[in-house]
Amino acid sequence: MAHQQEIRDPIHNFIRLNAEERKVLDSVPFQRLRHIHQLALTYLLYPGATHKRFEHSLGVMELAGRVYDVVIDPDNLIEASVRELVPRKGDYKYGYWRLVLRMAALCHDLGHLPFSHAAERDLLPDGWNHERLTLEIIRSKEMGPIWDEIKINQEDVAKLAVGPENYKGKEYSDFEAILSEIIVGDAFGVDRIDYLLRDSHHIGVAYGRFDHYRLIDSLRILPKGDDSQEPVLGVDEGGLHSAEALILARYFMFTQVYCHHVRRIYDIHLKDFLMKWLSKGRFSIELDEHLAMTDDEINVALLRSAKDAKLPGHDEAKRIVRRNHFRLLYQRNPADLEKNQEACRAVYEAASENFGEDNVRFDSYRQKGGGLDFPVLGRDGRIASSLQMSETLARVPVVAEDYVFISSKIRGDAERWLEENRESIIASPREEDES
Amino acid sequence: MKRLQKDAVMLSLLEEMQANGSWCGETHLQKATYFLQELLEVPLGFDFILYKHGPFSFDLRDEITAMRGDFLIKYKTRPYPYGPSLVLDAGGARLKEKFPKTISQYSKTVCFVAETFGDKGVSELERLGTALYFTRRQNGKDEPLDLQMHKLKPHISPEEAQEALQKVADIVKMAKKAKLVQ
Repeated sequence: MAHQQEIRDPIHNFIRLNAEERKVLDSVPFQRLRHIHQLALTYLLYPGATHKRFEHSLGVMELAGRVYDVVIDPDNLIEASVRELVPRKGDYKYGYWRLVLRMAALCHDLGHLPFSHAAERDLLPDGWNHERLTLEIIRSKEMGPIWDEIKINQEDVAKLAVGPENYKGKEYSDFEAILSEIIVGDAFGVDRIDYLLRDSHHIGVAYGRFDHYRLIDSLRILPKGDDSQEPVLGVDEGGLHSAEALILARYFMFTQVYCHHVRRIYDIHLKDFLMKWLSKGRFSIELDEHLAMTDDEINVALLRSAKDAKLPGHDEAKRIVRRNHFRLLYQRNPADLEKNQEACRAVYEAASENFGEDNVRFDSYRQKGGGLDFPVLGRDGRIASSLQMSETLARVPVVAEDYVFISSKIRGDAERWLEENRESIIASPREEDES
Repeated sequence: MKRLQKDAVMLSLLEEMQANGSWCGETHLQKATYFLQELLEVPLGFDFILYKHGPFSFDLRDEITAMRGDFLIKYKTRPYPYGPSLVLDAGGARLKEKFPKTISQYSKTVCFVAETFGDKGVSELERLGTALYFTRRQNGKDEPLDLQMHKLKPHISPEEAQEALQKVADIVKMAKKAKLVQ
């Protein structure tokens, strides 16, 4: 058996990888992830959130291997149609796809910009996102020789790493689609499993924890249900409560941490700074330049700009470095939503008109993905929808937030203004736009 | 089309599908929207790919979730063996009232999709959606479309593929005859 290296990890205890996998770990693009914070500037409000994409990616690789071993295990392949899909244990293809899956999991975040997700849509040219950069890196001259050396096809890695949403133009076989779902899937993607556990550990909150050992052990490839034979990841009924706990963990982590209004306004201030500091207001998509740019370079620039009024982005940098961020003026709430579906935008537009656009910021988040409706293999052998088997899942709300922020200098005035005008602003829904 | 206008059209599609016998789960809505956009040319702007079983849009999946988040639609569980339906939530009716012109503009195409596909199950919608996808995809191959379909989706037999392609061709003719598309 090939020599296994062990890496200590606070979430998974040991992450093991062999000499071939180590070559990918040692590559320049992967080592760059040591310098990309997993949660951007979240450490400004949760000081423990200083962990990086590097250890998250290792965790995703470890979990992807564990899920593969469970769902491909012949004892867990209940349906004949599914048995035909997957390679048999001992076959060359079994080992090949296990390696491809683990390497795709390891590389799934290679394209992240500095400070991770913060506003990448505004900071990259049209048609680009971090997944496309990930694809380019996996296909790059830097990584090509490594794939050749460890004898895997780079397109197989690319396909699984970014998933069908981002790998345009070619279809996935059912098996490839399942493998990709193991990494980036809505319900049970190991990317999400790892970040919920890891983020909650570092931040010091309990919301993100759940029994992932039980959950992974109960994952199965099952037909989707209704009259569809589409194979998807589902669970054995014994793991349903763990699946509920995962979905509740996601809900609480998003509402309490990822969508915390202070975290969101720091993302906006960082985007504002970068748009002034970066040449042409955007990150480069040239791979050499992308790989040379990390949080470290941006942090140095933030500190310098905050001190020197002549440097670009001085005001925006000061807001971050001196923690003088804009304050929450208005937040989406169900009562106002009943009166006006776009109440928050109406407040933002009225506030901008009254206090000037530079003093007001708008932010909106809607949960992405589906993920609540997955097949459950009952103890009686029947396969049913999770929403039928679990009253809890049927009641989990969707995370949706809208915020209006105001400059701290005029916060008092703005709050008084909103109190006086709130009802008239919200009670004026827009007319239908026929244009 | 702006987001809320698009949502209003989706809400009317959901209601019409149900009025025509569909229990309208998420897969039904995915496929019905695909036909509305690709066959009837309603400019919804969703990006469809050929996924595990038929055309699928990740943008549309996210929009359906966002509509749940905005209280426009909600799940309604159904007895075994059916998955959950999507039905209008409290905000859905209010939104429809705000967009009567948009809804009216697309009502004929929405009704055509609902009347044509409302009584179809998930498997048939998947086959018809895949057939339309192959019909529209120009790949320059000489191989007949039914064989191409079967090759990529082995669970669809060449006979089923041929039948689905023929049905799609008939539906396109019907849409042209009704002057819903050129």
